[in-house]
Amino acid sequence: MTVLKTSMRSFFAHKGRMLLSGVAIVLSVAFVCGTLVFTDTLNTTFDKFFGSTAADVTVGPEEEENAQETGRAASLPASLVDEVGAVEGVASADGVVFDAGVTVVDGAGDRVGSSNGAPTIATGWGPDIQRAMELASGRAPEAADEALIDADTAGRADIAVGDELEIIAVEGTHRVTVTGLAEFRSTNPGAPHVLLEAEAARTALLGSPDLITSVHVMAEDGVPDAEVRDRVAAALGGSYDIETAAENEAAMKDDVGGFLDVLRYAMLGFAGIAVLVGIFLIVNTFSMLVAQRTREIGLMRAVGASRRQVNRSVLTEALLLGTVGSLVGIGAGIGLAVALMELMNSVGITMSTSDLTIAASTPVAGLVVGVLATVVAAWLPARRAGKVAPMAALRDAGTPGDGAAGRVRTALGLLLTLGGGAALVAAAEADEAGDGSLFLSLGLLLTLVGAVVVGPLLASGVVRVLSVAVLRVFGPVGRMAGRNARRNPRRTGATAGALMIGLALVGSLSVVSASLVASASDQLDRSVGADFIIDTTSEQLITPEAAEAVRATPGLEHVTDYAAVSVELATPDGESSAEEVIAASPTYARDLRARTVAGELSAAYEEDHLSVGESFAEEHGLAVGDELTARFVGGDEGVRLTLAAITSENTMIDKGAMYVSHATARAHLPEEAMPLNLVMFARAEEGRKAAAYDALKASLEPFPQYEVSDQADYKQALEDEVGTLLNVVYALLALAIIVAVLGVVNTLALSVIERTREIGLMRAIGLSRRQMRRMVRLESVVIALFGAVLGLGLGLGWGVAAQRVLSLEGFAVLDVPWATLGVVFAGSAVVGLVAAIVPAFRAGRMSVLRAIATE
Amino acid sequence: MATAVFETRTAAAARAEGVVKAYGSGETRVVALDRVTADIRQGGFTAIMGPSGSGKSTLMHCLAGLDTVTSGRIWVGDTEITGLKDKKLTRLRRDSIGFIFQAFNLLPTLNALENITLPMDIAGRKPDKEWLDRVVSTVGLGERLKHRPSQLSGGQQQRVAVARALAARPAIIFGDEPTGNLDSRAGAEVLGFLRRSVDELGQTIVMVTHDPVAAAHADRVLYLADGRIVDDMANPTADLVLDRMRGFDARGRVS
Repeated sequence: MTVLKTSMRSFFAHKGRMLLSGVAIVLSVAFVCGTLVFTDTLNTTFDKFFGSTAADVTVGPEEEENAQETGRAASLPASLVDEVGAVEGVASADGVVFDAGVTVVDGAGDRVGSSNGAPTIATGWGPDIQRAMELASGRAPEAADEALIDADTAGRADIAVGDELEIIAVEGTHRVTVTGLAEFRSTNPGAPHVLLEAEAARTALLGSPDLITSVHVMAEDGVPDAEVRDRVAAALGGSYDIETAAENEAAMKDDVGGFLDVLRYAMLGFAGIAVLVGIFLIVNTFSMLVAQRTREIGLMRAVGASRRQVNRSVLTEALLLGTVGSLVGIGAGIGLAVALMELMNSVGITMSTSDLTIAASTPVAGLVVGVLATVVAAWLPARRAGKVAPMAALRDAGTPGDGAAGRVRTALGLLLTLGGGAALVAAAEADEAGDGSLFLSLGLLLTLVGAVVVGPLLASGVVRVLSVAVLRVFGPVGRMAGRNARRNPRRTGATAGALMIGLALVGSLSVVSASLVASASDQLDRSVGADFIIDTTSEQLITPEAAEAVRATPGLEHVTDYAAVSVELATPDGESSAEEVIAASPTYARDLRARTVAGELSAAYEEDHLSVGESFAEEHGLAVGDELTARFVGGDEGVRLTLAAITSENTMIDKGAMYVSHATARAHLPEEAMPLNLVMFARAEEGRKAAAYDALKASLEPFPQYEVSDQADYKQALEDEVGTLLNVVYALLALAIIVAVLGVVNTLALSVIERTREIGLMRAIGLSRRQMRRMVRLESVVIALFGAVLGLGLGLGWGVAAQRVLSLEGFAVLDVPWATLGVVFAGSAVVGLVAAIVPAFRAGRMSVLRAIATE
Repeated sequence: MATAVFETRTAAAARAEGVVKAYGSGETRVVALDRVTADIRQGGFTAIMGPSGSGKSTLMHCLAGLDTVTSGRIWVGDTEITGLKDKKLTRLRRDSIGFIFQAFNLLPTLNALENITLPMDIAGRKPDKEWLDRVVSTVGLGERLKHRPSQLSGGQQQRVAVARALAARPAIIFGDEPTGNLDSRAGAEVLGFLRRSVDELGQTIVMVTHDPVAAAHADRVLYLADGRIVDDMANPTADLVLDRMRGFDARGRVS
């Protein structure tokens, strides 16, 4: 009981010191809880949306596995509606046309719709959609050239009633005038909707007034959905997919759920990094508290407190801190989730705070993470406190510097670091990507732990070098700052170690991404012969209309089709597998100079020939000349294809791809089952490159969803894309770095308090306030730079090893972005300066007399 | 007459005129220094004595520019320091004043030599090599200049502090019980150095002490009681000082 009381007293006596550790816990827990609340809310939003759209029973065409991507929704005869309507227990049956892959273009020729990756949906304005949406203004579409658009999209894209729109579908471009705006009855997560007059929808989206995509059935009151489903199935017989609302909802949730899970775990991963960094901060805080209280603890031991009691009193403090921090963090996490939702709203994913979902498990998870991290972190300092001898009460303790690093630590640290280094080297030297990544992950883990253990040992040496390099210009103030940073190597090591983790990740990611871009661009230079790449920027593949526009462009020597065909391949070894085969024009062999290990690639484009990748050939023991049997999904079966070439897999582009000619695919697939082009390539006539580029851009002007780029633009786009992704990752890592900065602030603040007398002495003998502040700032800068040296060094090692492993996958070029690393290094100095603002101010303001008087 | 005033000013290393130092206000007002006027002569070794709470430390802190006064004026050399801003006060301490405290005189991260030259390093001045050698040999530290404070005994640490105070050739050195933490032998040694620096190097020293033996090394002893100077004794000996203190104590008891 008394132990608890002393813990409580000491906890409240050190409020200020606890505050920073508390903030670290709050941040980590907030990130964890924020992620959970945010993704749960996103789930709720989707669930509600699905729930609002689902009919009691839906009749759709039977789904074929690995269906060809024709860009056309699978359809049913419209006559089915009456058949279903006649079934007993059916209150109403509606024929629905639903196309989730159209592009809408406004009068200015710009694409209307989200930049968030959500598909643009076109459907008929029938009773079914009107259960989910209602007319907000204007009137319903009555003629074929009229349509509604959802109010959210209209607001974003600045579309008003009376505006003209183009709806680009596989069947062609359909022009409409907006007659009104429709609003969702519940929150729409962000897919733009255009709503056509019912018959116009069938013609425009499916090419015939007699086709629909599904029949939506409402059951009569009192008849269960499942029963209606069974009756409809019985009435229609065979090949339809018939689902109840519940089944339908579950299927859609599965689709979205996978994506949401990825998002959730990625964000939790970053939260985990922040928690790890927070642990460093807490270890350091408690170590310092224990060191400062050595006398007090000695006194408690002298008057009879047992080791365990002392130990427990420190852990109790940690428990208090963890609990308070976690509780605040849970609240902050909910705030964070709301802020994220606002952010989503601004990029077009509509989320309403009324859907805010806080699962019971969320606060539990926050509390467990926060308390566990704190208590684990306080474990070592608590043990150290328990070991304080009663004699310590009698000694003039002052500030005990930590003794020479233990032999155990040295040995363990060296062992881990060397082991990790060896694993990294092994990863770099590995011949197989599988072995490489195994060694790589082992190496990452060992070197990280090793660096954490060795950090304090390096502190003295590295800080000495940094002092010579950076601090010398600041004269004696710089020298003293360097000495101060070195006097508590364990503390400096732990403080810098927290920063190290974040910077190691930043460093390695920058090396890997720069290498990725450099390798890709190198390979583009070496192997791509096409002048232009036509690519889609939306969900919509290249429609026949757009493909025709490309082919009709003047000044092109050739245009290459490139589609992915679903094929079931049976190999001579008796196995069969579903494969995606690239169906390309023979000119593709010139557009991408893929290397072969056997055969000639051009031969693969002959009728009923194909090429496969190295590993597929190896797996099935294939040689050039062997025959494979193919079933083109939705087309011919038992097609015999002759293996003409085996391609090398030491590449980044089309790795392991199988090729057949576009003509072969066309020969074995009916026209409506022929997949659309994924991309297209083109080559200009000799010496007319610039003109051809302009002409291509002009041809694609009516299709803003497609983008044409020449090699330089394509490289730039690739670089931008990687850069954007990297920025998102850096932003998430910023959390870990902020927590690390709190650690630096904490260490400095404690050091300033510990050195009150020194500060007084220096001020008495003539150190000015400004010099005093500078001294604290420089110490902070040196600690931060030490963390940067460790982190970037580690990151560089990781990055290089990772690139060597990836080189087996075609990432041939190592590019170390020295400029970026330099900026990060300089940035850490700034981080140090920022961390020192408050401690330096306090040191400067300390009263000389009081400082001298402090016992 | 004007010249005479000027001469007394220059002859004084420090001077206090009607200095009052009070804490708090109204009924809780405590007067630590009550209209103190004193001259510290150049090249002299002055001891300030008095019972606990007499204001002797406060007087020293005020003279050294470490503490502000409630009213009155203080000069160090020709500079009036009352009313100076922190920046100028700091510079004055750095360039014209040396300090020796009772304990914790040295920075643990610097070795003995670095501690000695610290005030000059801070000021960005090169130490006068010859003078430094002389100071170091005077205090007898030659062998231990590369040692850290933790590797030195208490007496040696105080000698380093003395050397630091002397090395910058300040106009005046203030000592706050510089031998308070030392045994009598080490204390005598340090006092010996202070004495020699006055005699041989012409240094001005003001030392607060409660030890009659220490005070006996001074040329002059100022006695403070209840914030006032109650006696000014020249050429003190330990016995004389002790006698005088007994006298004050007795009077204190009677009144």
